[in-house]
Formats: sequence, C-alpha cells, structure tokens
Amino acid sequence: MTGPPDADDRPTDAGIGAWLATQRRRSAAVVGVDDLDGRARVLATVAGLSLAATAVVFLLAPGYTLLPLAPFVAIAGYGWIAYQSSTARILTFLATVSAVATLGLISVFLFVQAAPVFELMGPSILWGSGWSQAQEVFHLGPMIWGTVMTTVIALSIAAPFGVAGAVFINEIAPDWAREVVKPGVEILAGIPSIVYGFIGFAVLNTWAKIEFEIPTLGSMLIAGVVIGVMALPTVVSVAEDALDSVPRPMKDGALAMGATDWQTIKSITIPAAFSGISAAVLLGMGRAIGETMAATVILCGVTERYPVPLYDPFDCTNTLTALIAGNYGAAHGITLRALFAAGVVLFVTVTVLSLISQYVERRMRRRLRGEA
Amino acid sequence: MTGTLTVSRDGVGARAFTDLGTGVLGVAILSFLLAVTLLLQWTGPGTEVFGVTVFSVLGTGLLLGGLGLVVEGLVSRAGVVGTTPDHTPGLVTATVAAVAAAAVAGLFLSQTLGWEGLWFVGPAGLPIGVPAGWSPVALLVGSAVGALTATAREDLGATLPFGGLVALGGALIATGAIGVGWQWNLHDVSAVIHGAQAVPFLAVVLSLVLTWAAAKAREGFGAQGRERAAFMFLGLIAFGMLSVLALVVTYITVRGAGRAFQGFAVGLDGIRWPFVTNGTTFGAETPDGVYPSIVGTVWLVIGSVLFAVPLGVGAAVFLTEYADQGRFTAVVEVATNALWSTPSIVFGLFGYALLVPRIGNRNTLLAGMLVLGFMLLPLVIITARESLKAVPDEYRDASAALGVSRWSTIRSVVLPAAMPGVITGIVLGVGRIAGETAPLILVMAGGLNQDSGSLFSPDLLQGGQALPYKLYAIITAGISGSSEFGWATAFVLLLVVLGFYAIGIGSRLYFRRKLNE
Repeated sequence: MTGPPDADDRPTDAGIGAWLATQRRRSAAVVGVDDLDGRARVLATVAGLSLAATAVVFLLAPGYTLLPLAPFVAIAGYGWIAYQSSTARILTFLATVSAVATLGLISVFLFVQAAPVFELMGPSILWGSGWSQAQEVFHLGPMIWGTVMTTVIALSIAAPFGVAGAVFINEIAPDWAREVVKPGVEILAGIPSIVYGFIGFAVLNTWAKIEFEIPTLGSMLIAGVVIGVMALPTVVSVAEDALDSVPRPMKDGALAMGATDWQTIKSITIPAAFSGISAAVLLGMGRAIGETMAATVILCGVTERYPVPLYDPFDCTNTLTALIAGNYGAAHGITLRALFAAGVVLFVTVTVLSLISQYVERRMRRRLRGEA
Repeated sequence: MTGTLTVSRDGVGARAFTDLGTGVLGVAILSFLLAVTLLLQWTGPGTEVFGVTVFSVLGTGLLLGGLGLVVEGLVSRAGVVGTTPDHTPGLVTATVAAVAAAAVAGLFLSQTLGWEGLWFVGPAGLPIGVPAGWSPVALLVGSAVGALTATAREDLGATLPFGGLVALGGALIATGAIGVGWQWNLHDVSAVIHGAQAVPFLAVVLSLVLTWAAAKAREGFGAQGRERAAFMFLGLIAFGMLSVLALVVTYITVRGAGRAFQGFAVGLDGIRWPFVTNGTTFGAETPDGVYPSIVGTVWLVIGSVLFAVPLGVGAAVFLTEYADQGRFTAVVEVATNALWSTPSIVFGLFGYALLVPRIGNRNTLLAGMLVLGFMLLPLVIITARESLKAVPDEYRDASAALGVSRWSTIRSVVLPAAMPGVITGIVLGVGRIAGETAPLILVMAGGLNQDSGSLFSPDLLQGGQALPYKLYAIITAGISGSSEFGWATAFVLLLVVLGFYAIGIGSRLYFRRKLNE
C-alpha cells in the first residue's frame, strides 16, 4: 500500500542534525506553528503543556486534576478573544492529539495490564483449559472456543441471509419498497443487545431446554442464533451500500448485451461488490465476536472446561466477552489481569478483522474507479 | 415419446404446463408460510385445518408439489411444450442436488439402518478418527446424483432430484413417519430433537427448494426461468428476515406496552405516566417505574456527548482542513475505524481498571460518561470527517478567493455545510451508546433501586441507573417476580434507542434528498 520511505526520511550519520531539523520543521508544519507570531506561539506551548500536565496528574494524583486544567481554560479563553484564527487551529490540533492519545492510551493500557498473565501462563493460555483464581491458573482456551462456536453459528445465519437480503433490497425490490425497507433495516440495527439478550434469556432458553431436553439452561446454539439475528441488519446495511456503489454503467453494459437482470446481478454486480460484501460480513463477524450482553445473559458461564464433545452446540461454555462481564466483580490482582488478557485477545482479533475489511473496502473503491 | 409433436408456448399444452407450474409454486409458497407459523408457534402440531392436522396438510402439500414438479420436468423433456431449457442445469443446481442426496443417504444409512455413530470421541472430548462406514457410501451417492444432475438437460436436472426430495420429505411428514411422536436422540451431544421442531424446520427448507425449482419450471427454464427462480427465492428469504426483525419489535411491544402504560392518563393537569415518572415506590397503591434509569440514561448521553463531540469534531476539523493528507491522517483514520469496532466490554474493562480507582474509587456516573464518551469518540471523528470531506472544494476556494481567512472559511462556510452530516452521525452514535450495557456494569452500576439524582442536578460521583443496566439487573435478579417489569423496561429502552435511530436516519434521508435537489 504505502511505498518504501523516501530516501531523505532516513537519517544518515552525517546528516543527522539536518534530518532532525527537517523533522522539526515538518512537525511544526503539521501544527502550523510557523504561521504564528511570537506571543501566540508561547500561548500555544503553554496550553499544550498544561493539557499534558492534566493528563499526567490525572493518572498519578487524580485528586488534583482540575489544577493544571485551569491555565489551559484561561489561555484558550484569552486566545479565542485575542487571536481567534490561530487559537482555533491550535485547539483543533490539541483535540486531535488528545483524541489520538486517549485512544492510544486505551490500547497500550490493555497490553500493559495483560502482559504479566501472558508471561505467567505462556502461550498455552490460548488453548489450555482450566481457570482457578485460587491456584492462579488462567486458561482462555474454552472461552476462545466458545467465542468461535457462537460466532460461527451467528455468521451462518447473518452472512447468507444478510447478503441475500441486501441483494433483494438493492437489486430486486421495487423502488417504493426499498425506500421503506432500507431505513427500516438501519433502524432495526439499533435494537440494543440487552433486549435481544432478554428475549433469549426469558423465552428461548426455556423453550430450548424443554423442547430439546438440554440438561442446562442456556446453550451456545441459542446464543449464536440470537447474536446472528442481531448482526443481521448490520450485514444487510453495509452489503447493500457495497452493491449500491457499483457504478450504473457497469450494469447497463451487461443489460445492453442482452443479459437478464439476474445474470447481470450474478456475473457483474455481485463480483464487482464482492470486496464490499465481504467487508460487511467481516464487520458482522466483529460485532458477533464483541457481543457481550446476549452471551452473558444467555450462556451459563462455565469457564473451566471445553464442551464435551467439543462440537456440542447444546453445551454451555462461555465467551471471552461474557468472561469479562461475569467475573470482574470478584477479580483483583492477577485475576483482573487475566481478564485483561481476554480483552487483549478480543481487541487484537477485532482490530485485525477491521483492518482487513478496511483494506478490502479500499481496494474495491479503487477498482470501481478503475485505478487498479 | 412423440418427438414430432412440437407445440408453441401459446398452445393448450403449454397453457396447462404453466397452470401446473403456477399450482406447484402456489403450494410451495403456502407451505413456506404455514411452516413459518409453525416455527413461530402461532400454530402447533395439534392445530387443525378443516379437520386435518397442520402436519398432514403440510406433508400432503409438499408431496403433491414435489410430484407436480417431477411431472413438469418429464413433460418438458418430452418436448410437447415449448420450454427453453439449457443443456445443463448449472453447477450450483448440481451441487445442491449432490449435497441433498448425500445428506439423505447418510441419514438413512446411519439413523434408519443404524450403521455406526457419527464420530469417535477422544479423551479430551476431541472428535478423532474418521466417520464410520456409512459416510463413503453417502459420499458416493451424493457424487453420483450430482454427476447425473450436471449432465442431464436442464428440465430434468432442475426438477427430478428436487421434486423427488420434496416428495420424499412430504411423504414422511404426511404419513407421520416424522411427526409428533417421533424423536431423534443425538447421543453424543446432549439434546433430543422432537418431531414438533423437526417438521417445521424440514418443511421450511423443503418449501424453499420447491419454490426455487417450481419458479424455474413455470417460466420454461433457461435464463428467464433462472431469473424468476432466483428472485422468488431471494424474495422469500428477505421476507422471512424482515419478519423476524419486525417480530422482535412487535413481541417486545406486546409483552411490555401494557405494563409500561399502566395508569397512563392525559388530563387537564397534564400527562400522567407512572412507569416513566415513578421510581421504586415500596408502596402497594402506586406502581413502580423506571424514572431513575431514565434520568441516568439522559445524563449519560449528555455527559458522553459533551466529552466526545467537541474533541471529535475538533480533531476532524484539524485532520481534514489543516493537516496534510498523508500518512498521519491515514493512520489516524485506520485507528479510529479499528477502535469503533472494538467490543464495548473492552472499553468497560479499561474504565474499571483506570478510571474507577481515580474517580472516588467506586462506580460513578462520571466514569460511565467518560467510558461511553471514549466509545463515541471514534464514531464522531469518522462521521465528522466524512461530512467535512463531502463539502465541495469550490466552497473553500470561493471563500479564499474573496480574501477570507482559513478559519473564517471553516467557521462560516465549511462547518455549516457539513453540520447535517455531523449531527446525523452523532445522533446515531448516541442511539448506540444509549443502549449500551456492558461497560456500565463495570464502571457505573449502583444498587438495583438506587436513585440517579434528579433530572436537573446529576450526582456525578455516585453510582447510578440506566435503562439497559436496569434490564440487566432484572435478569440477574431472577425472572420470578418481575417479568412484566422487565418487558416494560425493554419496551421503554427500545422506544428511546429506536427513537434516536429514527431521528438520525430520517434527518440523513432528508438532507440527502435536499442535497440532490
């Protein structure tokens, strides 16, 4: 994607001073400090420092957080009156830095907190089984397996039905139906997960226990089905956007050659939008993996063992998300860090999925514009 | 057969062929709808239609439909009606036929004839070894049927296997071979499948297959037939999907609206709505309500918006208007997208370990606001950037050409033009965080009946309530006494969240339409 760095980006022994100067100029150019006059530059520096101090004080001595924040507010207020244009630029820059720093802090904090547990358990944390606070044994294997099982079940519902629904809405349904159904589906994407969880807990769990004679209340099958229905509108909505972004002339060409509508859909539209559709499925997968509440209230939270047999969808294991939601209360010290390890596994998985889907989507857009 | 008799598509034979096709298609769609009512338990195995049980009706319908399909295939192959079949039914059709045949053969051999279990189960519950003797036979049958289907002409390949399958299934259901008393004990997984569940599932699958094949046959096969078949099939699936989603909303409304509107009255002294304006009353004469949770949700939304919106919009303005579009902005974009899909519980865990010890060392409303603000932040940045990018560069150029400074241009030209998109994004994000539960369990939850301060002065440093958390608390407290209360809470939560979504999506449509004018 990005090419190799420019030659002048790399420091050489001889030119290190010049290189540093370039870098400094560049970062100054990003902020736009070069354009500011002397006094504004001082104010900007003080504002930035005071904001940084606020962050540090909050982390170390939270009681005094408001003290270093006060100069920032005062400077921002004065600057807004005296140098509005420069202040606006500085403030938006500081907003960017704070936003990036906050989001970065969350990621770094997760990894730092979880590191001791990964050290303690070694790589077998990912596949071993056994969870005991007393013996300080924390294996995530069963939870990872539970997440995989529920996600597979959920996707086997959300992916085919979601894509079929998207094709129907975008290509087949009459205009008036699309105008109603598309926003309707988007609204339904907003049904909170706890509501789905409540239905699963109060209705489906009991139903499944009686009808299928399952020994426990709550099974991965029910959790997976509920999560699949929950992810359905997201998949429909994103896949429909992808189909919609296929340029009209591509379809017209096929139709002009005498292809039927369905042949056009099958051989032109869906292949052209394939990347976008897979991005939609990946997004739905991310939602299914990260879904907490439905899994927490439907599953019964067995953390110590794998289901027997392994592929039994009627058994009741746990997911990574439900592990965190269900065990944080009694957790401190190393146990809390074990929960962070679960958070890291979730974070890494979902981030990788997100990166893949973004890459795939960008590639599709480039291709549809005819650049690749 | 009489190869000499060729009839055009408007002949009597052709009309009868189309009529038969319409009949089969009608049976298929009716069977689908009937099977769906069974799945949703609107009808049960005991329900009778004209003195016959639903299962018999369904089975007979599928049997006749399947046979009708076979007849259609044979008639078309005989060449007495002017159909336009291709040389081959295509790879998809052949694959479906092969899989179906393999499944039927496998189930027959392993279950009916009792030929060995599914897997050997290893010591750790791992399925090891190979499936026992029946599986190669099933595979063989499957591939044979698949090969035959692929090489047959379309009118035979697309009808015979599927007509046969549907007729077989219909016969099993109609004769009661798979019926109310039937049960299938899955020995190695801890469940038993009863006829009452198996029949609707089987019927849904079979009727979808029948719809697909019958629509194809009715149009006389070929490209037209395949198009009609695909459209019917996708239409039924989309219809089923939308019905399920609509059913979720309807179900919550039916179960919860009664309790939620208990004592609701509009009088001269204003609107009285006890469920929304009461807290836990501890009294018998006034009904309990969810007032504290509503107040908590309102303050959570306000707090997180105050945190995330200025920060997010500011960052978006800088990234779009001031910063050079390069590696830095690309990295920020990728990172915000990734964080937007990060599970909420991970944000909750972060808040629990970092914020809670630093803010009063207890669960607080403020911590809840901040964590939800963190969750909202990526979305605000993403949507604000998209709206800012959508503002045409001509606006900026025109303003600059008039000698207006950059900041004035942003303030009076770019931001107003981007505002609708920004606001829509925020409203949608608010909808999502208003229904968010997981992080609140960790960082904010107070006791089950705790207040959240008043509507006008929030108690920032106390734990509080919120609608989604209230629902969770009801679930964990046990369903015994408060089932109605739970449904009513779910109903109010749904109203609030879907209200935000409806406003957001409605305004997006409005502005998009205005833009296109």
